[in-house]
Parts: sequence; structure tokens; C-alpha cells
Amino acid sequence: MSNSMTFKNLPPAVCLPWDVKAKELGEIKGDADLIKKEWETLDMFGYIYIWYWVQR
Amino acid sequence: MADVAKLAEERKKRYLAAMNLEKPDRVPIRLNFSGEFISKVAGYTFQETYYDWNKNIDATRRMLAKIDGLEMVMGGANLWWATLHDAVGARYLKFAGRDLDENTMFQYVEDAYMLPEDYDDFIENPTEWVATKFLPRIHAELDEPGTYRATVGLIKGAYGLANQLAAGGQGMASYQQEFGVVPSVTGVSKAPFDTLADTLRGLSGIMMDLYRCPDKLKKAMEVLVPHNIFYGMATAQGDTEYPLFMPLHRGAYPFMKMDQWVEFYWPTLKAVIEGLWAAGKRTLFYAENIWTPYLEKIAELPDKSIVFHVDQTDMDKAYKVLGGRFCLSGNVPNSLLAFGKPEEVKDYVKGLLDKYARDGGFVIDAGAVILDDAKEENIVALIEAVHQYGVY
Repeated sequence: MSNSMTFKNLPPAVCLPWDVKAKELGEIKGDADLIKKEWETLDMFGYIYIWYWVQR
Repeated sequence: MADVAKLAEERKKRYLAAMNLEKPDRVPIRLNFSGEFISKVAGYTFQETYYDWNKNIDATRRMLAKIDGLEMVMGGANLWWATLHDAVGARYLKFAGRDLDENTMFQYVEDAYMLPEDYDDFIENPTEWVATKFLPRIHAELDEPGTYRATVGLIKGAYGLANQLAAGGQGMASYQQEFGVVPSVTGVSKAPFDTLADTLRGLSGIMMDLYRCPDKLKKAMEVLVPHNIFYGMATAQGDTEYPLFMPLHRGAYPFMKMDQWVEFYWPTLKAVIEGLWAAGKRTLFYAENIWTPYLEKIAELPDKSIVFHVDQTDMDKAYKVLGGRFCLSGNVPNSLLAFGKPEEVKDYVKGLLDKYARDGGFVIDAGAVILDDAKEENIVALIEAVHQYGVY
């Protein structure tokens, strides 16, 4: 098994998991769910862009 | 406008009824045109529609205005916006007007862009592997990640794709509003074997893998199953009315022996189709070339979960094995559309309708994507024959 990937077994729609980003952000003063939702939506677009080059 | 909206509703109702194995008012017409055919009919060069996205969208509009009776379209004319591929420095595509004559169809330069030693990384995290290893490998502009050119190439690629998708969506909406056509498909995905074989390992690479690293190949395909289900639903934007387009390539007979097909190709393809069906999404099983030996295995799928598209598969056998449980579509030969006469096309269509459409559950189409060698008068003849002989 390889150890050269940063993440293991990321599910579909995810490039950079929210959990990882949330830890880096630290305390969130406002609506964390809103930030999470929008993060995951844009992360999904990044995912689709990456896979477009494979699935075309 | 009200008449056009009514027309669209009628066409949608007709198509959905056939896919649900019902008898609509008549057999639906779904013709899967290539961008090259559309460009020819529209009076544009291939270079113009590959490179000028406005002309690409307009080409379909011109075709719809010119050929009466078209009921469905897949979207804009061409799949590729060449400028997007130029922006990233795509090594795997040659385009009209750049590398090729202005009216030569694009060429795909197949190679093993993924190597056998990449399997472990791919299995561990395919999204990261594609982003960090594959994209720089296939794109000259991304050769040196972190440099100015690579960064700009990535930005332009993402912006270009977003623009392409938005323009395509606007184009589709305008076709519906102006001509009352409906989408033949929404969303696209692949068999996991084809995901690997088409763009990653290439045909020669994956055929070696069947013997040299079969376990890794199987594991990679298993890893792909949820990704391919998600990609299909995402590109369909959640739509579950129209079928998902699944062009099937390396599973055609006789690329593999039967036992290899059963062991390698089928299990993960079945899992993807079943996953899509569980989400409410039917698959257009676009079986290019010959699939006759595999029909009994395909019959294992849940009723109505696919539209089985016949190219050169034995139509009698497909009807016998799959008819009544799955909608069938096809199979007017592309050679007939290219080299036949209108009367011959009409005779062939009448024969198809008489034999296979009498109980409903049938959609007329060419066997494969209609290329620029097809004659416009033969398309007109096909449509006329359905209007004449395909009414229930």
C-alpha cells in the first residue's frame, strides 16, 4: 500500500474534508453550519473539475 | 410559445412512456448527433464549432431550424471546447484547425497515462492521485506544478469548464424554448473498467493488467464505483426523469473473453447502474458495437433500470432476452445513414418498428453516434418513416 497520498479513501464530492479545514480555522464565531455547507458545495465543484478530465 | 411548450411536453411524455415500457402515441425519435454532423448541417467548419463556443451552441439551433421533426438533443454540438484544452495544454487531443484540417474530426491520442505502478496511490485516494499525478502528466501547461504557467493553466482550466457548462445549460434551455425539444439524457458516467481503460491505462495497458495485476485492477474498479455513481448524479444535477448517458466501450465483444467480462467488466458496471437506480436514475446503456454474448448477464439488472441501446448487437436476441423488462433503442445502421438511399432507410425503419416496437418500450435511434458522413436526406427519411409507421 502506498503512503504518498495526503488523504486516504476520500469519498466522492470531497477534495479537502471540512473536518480538516475546520481544525485549521479554529474557533468559528458565527454560523459554523453555513460555512461548512458552502465549503462543501465549492469543494464538490472542485471535485467535479478534477474528475472531468478522467470521465470525459 | 405556448405551442412550443406543448410540443416539448408531448415529446417528454412520449419519451418517458417508452422508457417505462408503455405505448406512447408513437415511437419517440432520439437521434444522437455528433458535433461534426451538426456543424456540417449548420454550415460551420469543424474548427469554428470546436473553437467558438457561441457557434457551437448556434450550430444545434441551426440544425433544429433546418430539420423538421427532431424531438431531442444531447446539448450543444461538440463535446469539446478546444480552447479549454489549449489552456491546459492537453496532450491527448488533436483538433481541427490546429493540428488537423479545419474539417477533420478531433483525434484522441490514447496512451497509458496512468502506469501500473500508480495503482496503489490511485486505490488509496483516486481524487488526489488524479489532481496531483494525472493532470500534470496529460497537460503540458501543468508540467511544473507551482510555477506561474502551471498555476495560470489550472485557473484557466477551471474557469473555462465553468463557462462551458453554463453556456451549454443556457443553450439547452433555449433549444427547448425555441423548438420544443427535450434532453435525450442528463448526466454522464462510465463503467469503472472504461474509466480506467479510456483515459487512464489505455486499451493495451488494461489488457496487460488483466493478466499482470488483476487484483489491483479489481480493487481500483471497486474504488471507482461510488465515484462513478456520484459523478453521474452530479452531472445530471440531480435529475431523475431523463436517463443518464453511459457510453460503453471496452466491454464490447470481443475485447474480452466471456469469463473475463464476467469477472472484470460486469460486477462494477452492475454496481454503478444499481447505485444510480437506487437514487432513481435510469441509465442509457449505450452499448456500442456488439454485446450479444452478454445479454443474459445484463438481464440481471432491475426491471426498467436501463434503456438498452442496440448498435450491432443481435436485435432479435436483445428483444427476446431484454424486451418487456427494459426499453430498447436503436438500431438504424450508421452505414445505412451514410451510404444508403432514403427509401432504404425507410424500409429498415419500418422493419424495426414492425418487429420490435409493436408492444411499446422502443425508441428509434441510429446504432451509434451519427457522424458527418450521414446524409441529411436519410435523417429526414428516418423521421418520416417513424411518423408513417410508428404511430400506435
